[in-house]
Amino acid sequence: MSVAQTDPVLKVTDLTLRYSTRQGEVKAVEEVSFELAKGQSLGLVGESGCGKTSVANSLMRLLPDNARLVKGQVWLNGEDLLSLSDEEVRRFRWRRIAMVFQAAMNSLDPVYKVGQQVIEAIETHGVETTIDDAEERVARLFRLVGLDPQLMERYPHEFSGGMRQRAIIAMALSCDPDVIIADEPTTALDVIVQDRILRELKSIQQELRMSVIYITHDMAVVAEVTDRIGVMYAGRLVEFGNTADVFRAPMHPYTAALMSSFPSVSGERRPLGSLSGEPPNLLDPPLGCAFHPRCAYATEVCRRESPPQVSRGQQWAACWHPLDGQTSSTGNHDAY
Amino acid sequence: MIGYLIRRMWQMALTLLLILTVTFLLVQAQPGDYASFYVLDPDLPTEVKEQMRATFGLDRPLWQQYLIHMRNTFTGNFGVSFGHFPRPVMEVLLERLPRTLVLFVTATGASFYIGFLLGKAIAWRRGGFLEYAATISGTTLFTVFTPAFALMMIWVFAFKLGWFPVGKFLDPLVWRGSDVTANSVFSLMLITALAFAVFAFWVLFALKRKGNTGMKRLSIPIILVAALAIPLVWALSGIGTLALDILKHMVLPIVTLTLISFAGTMLLTRNSMLETIREDYVMAARAKGLPEKQVRDRHAARNALLPVVTSLIYSLIFAIDGSVIVESVFSWPGTGMTLLEAVRSEDMPLVMGAIVFIGLFSLLAHVIVDILYVYLDPRIRYQ
Repeated sequence: MSVAQTDPVLKVTDLTLRYSTRQGEVKAVEEVSFELAKGQSLGLVGESGCGKTSVANSLMRLLPDNARLVKGQVWLNGEDLLSLSDEEVRRFRWRRIAMVFQAAMNSLDPVYKVGQQVIEAIETHGVETTIDDAEERVARLFRLVGLDPQLMERYPHEFSGGMRQRAIIAMALSCDPDVIIADEPTTALDVIVQDRILRELKSIQQELRMSVIYITHDMAVVAEVTDRIGVMYAGRLVEFGNTADVFRAPMHPYTAALMSSFPSVSGERRPLGSLSGEPPNLLDPPLGCAFHPRCAYATEVCRRESPPQVSRGQQWAACWHPLDGQTSSTGNHDAY
Repeated sequence: MIGYLIRRMWQMALTLLLILTVTFLLVQAQPGDYASFYVLDPDLPTEVKEQMRATFGLDRPLWQQYLIHMRNTFTGNFGVSFGHFPRPVMEVLLERLPRTLVLFVTATGASFYIGFLLGKAIAWRRGGFLEYAATISGTTLFTVFTPAFALMMIWVFAFKLGWFPVGKFLDPLVWRGSDVTANSVFSLMLITALAFAVFAFWVLFALKRKGNTGMKRLSIPIILVAALAIPLVWALSGIGTLALDILKHMVLPIVTLTLISFAGTMLLTRNSMLETIREDYVMAARAKGLPEKQVRDRHAARNALLPVVTSLIYSLIFAIDGSVIVESVFSWPGTGMTLLEAVRSEDMPLVMGAIVFIGLFSLLAHVIVDILYVYLDPRIRYQ
């Protein structure tokens, strides 16, 4: 997995996002920075409400009216997305960054044929010149994601959940984007379909050398399909590294806790861990390290000061007391 | 689909039977009967009164009268009107029906179109000036007492400003000396309007579907040319002034009906849009990089349309109700005014005839909307 040499396709620096609500300002994303190289896949994991989807929506600039980007840049092939005008953003969406939606079931408009909805995207971005070419392209995409091209003429309600998800993937691929964001791509599907779709997505990604960001709370998905992993907690990135490294030896106690709460089929038998407490209220996150109220290793310094970034090879974590991999109570098992 | 339609026909016939029976009973529940007016005249000898009642069949027991009216109605000959004696009911109605239909269809179409456009716009940009202006004026017009509003319209636009005639279907001074009947001119106008609508529809949709981009760009100019050519042809035909006279009489009642009814569609569209805007497929459409207008019209509004179309029935029925009042205020000789006169004078055959037509019209509207639904929402299929 030596992908770090090439220039990054996507580079996010200090992304900070706030939502203003009646109760006050929600600090949804705090100084998130990461890079993604061509052909690489990144998994953003964390509990619900930790800011994963907010990061994804910032990349698409699909934010609700009460959202405010406080600072940060998103560079896509050297272009700063956050400085583009609305019209430039519109042209850039889907053509450069496409998305496989969280709610695939409802992401297809019920009144149009599935094929037509893919063609709509192709027409908007002028990828093909004629309808016939566009249709041919959709047929190819359908075959690529394992759908019969004849299904183009069907309506979304005639599709099963897995078929819809495949159609959405075909739609995301339709304009050859540089980056695809897969936001909980398989949450609504049963485990068998989920696994097949993930494998196919991975092979398509490798075949087309695309960059993919998987957003999920499912550690199994991350382990299966991503090269790199970013763990988010309370709007911050708390650990980042190669997936294999992170799974072998997590540095942040939160990552370790997340991993111990998922069963490993091939690994040794062990009791499943569970993390007590709830993610902090982002209206008023705890001082110091946001994880300290739930952390078994927390000391006085964690309560007072923000943790430093500690590196180990290509892996880093924001923690005062990073686990060294040997003494970790939950590490030492391979999730593959 | 065919089986479904046949079942619907049976239901319609049954519904119509019920409507007619209830109407018959309600009209009979009024004191007296059609002959009462003459019976009260002390100059008429008793035998003449009796003979008169017998002529109208009013001396028979009620159940026999009911059966006679029902037989007449369902064999399609409706009998002879009491009030317009000796003209058959059919003739009276055929003369007046087109006038009412034009009023209904134009006003409903216009209020639906205006309501949908406004509702769409105010849901998309909430909290703007347009939202307050449209909601307040729309609800005011929707709830205002119709006759008072109609009279206000006449007072302002016909009496004070003098832009439009005060009422009636035509101005006899304009028609003096012409050798054509008002109905033949009116029929020609209807045929022209219908032909134009079909033509415009064909240009817009048939050509668009072929995917011919050159023709697509031409479609609006073609329609505009046709729209300009029609008045020209009419002006040269010699009956242009007569048609213009009828048109001038049509404007106020149609505008009034439209104004009092558009708010229903507008508010419904607004609410329906507020639902669809939050749907994932609207978010997906935006993520696909579609222009905002396309996201709004092709996705949000297209789905918001579905429940609004159901309300089309109610606005049609509202227009029928409204037409009885509006036609009376504007002295527009259509079915609504005819029905009101017939009920008041207990002209039973005419009441039955008018109810059959109005009932058939609203029942057919139901069926048409149900069929329309299949084309608007692919999830709906009838077995």
